[in-house]
Amino acid sequence: MTREKQVEHYDVIVIGGGPAGLTAAIYAGRARLNTLLIEKALIGGLATYTNSIENYSGFPNGPKGEYITNEMKKQAEEMGVKFKLTAVKSVDFEGDEKIVETFRNKFIAKSVIIATGGRPRTTGAQNEDKFLFDKGISFCATCDAAANTGKHVLVIGSGDAAIEEGMFLTKFADKVSVSVIHDEGKMDCNEIAREAAMANPKMAFIWNTVVDSFEGEDMLERINLKNLKTKEIIPVETDSCFEFIGYLPNTEIFQEKVKMSGSQYIITNERMETNYPGVFACGDVREKWLKQVATAVGDGAIAGFAAEKYIAETEQFEEILMQNEKPGLIFVYNAIDPDSRKFLSVIDSYEKSKQGAIAVNRVDVYKSTGLADRLGVKNYPAVVITHEGRISSILYEGICEEGFCTATFDELFKKACKDCNK
Amino acid sequence: MKEVILDCFGEACPIPLVKAQNAIEELEIGDVLIVQIDHSCAMKNVPEWATKAGHNVEIEEVDDSEWEVIIEKAK
Repeated sequence: MTREKQVEHYDVIVIGGGPAGLTAAIYAGRARLNTLLIEKALIGGLATYTNSIENYSGFPNGPKGEYITNEMKKQAEEMGVKFKLTAVKSVDFEGDEKIVETFRNKFIAKSVIIATGGRPRTTGAQNEDKFLFDKGISFCATCDAAANTGKHVLVIGSGDAAIEEGMFLTKFADKVSVSVIHDEGKMDCNEIAREAAMANPKMAFIWNTVVDSFEGEDMLERINLKNLKTKEIIPVETDSCFEFIGYLPNTEIFQEKVKMSGSQYIITNERMETNYPGVFACGDVREKWLKQVATAVGDGAIAGFAAEKYIAETEQFEEILMQNEKPGLIFVYNAIDPDSRKFLSVIDSYEKSKQGAIAVNRVDVYKSTGLADRLGVKNYPAVVITHEGRISSILYEGICEEGFCTATFDELFKKACKDCNK
Repeated sequence: MKEVILDCFGEACPIPLVKAQNAIEELEIGDVLIVQIDHSCAMKNVPEWATKAGHNVEIEEVDDSEWEVIIEKAK
């Protein structure tokens, strides 16, 4: 027996409360859309795992990630965004109504923005599961550095996060060893971090190694590294290990629904559109090149804007263009194309001659081709004839020498409905 | 299926967590425990424990710096 879920309706549901989701929510909220943001843990996402963000424009003093995301949350709240702190259990994007379910609610929205981000990747070495998080293996120096005061800790990885967080750990620990998969002197991080790390007397590097196993009773006691070249096992005595070897996308609940890359990141176009109309994805969960707070914010802005456009276009499409009270004529044109524009007067005079018997609408594709796409119009200018709320024919250029002949319109209306042109 | 409210207002960590862990023992699968807290640390460790234990969790901010952690016992 399950409890009945409470149903709530929204314009936009954002799944995930990191910088991308928060920014998307700010844009949607600012467009006066009824917006809900659902986050399974704490607001801020992975950005809150970083002790200091040095390269987010406009914040010159290297603030904590948490500081930046708290400010974003405040801004979203001011825009009227509602927050729900719980995990999404399932989604259904098939219909026009998008359904997002948590364990207590069924949310129905016109548009959904996926901003679920990623999580730290683990090594997959023996016994790793036994020691994750509070048993010795951490992914967050900010969270756990202070507990390592005076100790020896091991860092796995050599990317920016590994080296920068490793340097941060030297403020607390006596010694920070770093297991690097590459040959001596080679790291994945930026050159400045590499030089600083090599010069840091508290940092020691164990080259050409990966983790073979994690050992200990209840808590981590020892890590066996393996030299990839010599196959030698190198035991490192420590009860504290930090893994910084990349991220995995949080896309499990979207599998076999939303189109993804081989590594399970969601594929979008530059408008953050997924394979479902009205469903957008932004931030680290997307297949993209650079994953930063700055790029997540950029993605979020686009997704929030795109959701607003999608909703507005849906309403315009259904209520105005696909009206079923009268026969309809829709002129699709590009306002910056002079050839396209010159037919406007033809359409105007046709509309006047029909004295309100035909509903005439004009769709400018200059800013967005969304409505034209829904009409199935690929070239502009074009004329779409509708009858009883359905498209009966689409007319492109070259129908007659002057472009669109009003006589042709009459013909098409006649074909669509015998009573219309009496 | 019952709903139990656990008042932990004014109590600092780890008291809300210990109380919640004890309270959930008394419940059946499908029952809901609502832990009321006003210490932000409990907002982290109570949901973390409940999620790891496999229960369904939702946090609701009921007032400024007052939260309800809603836990549905799932195993």
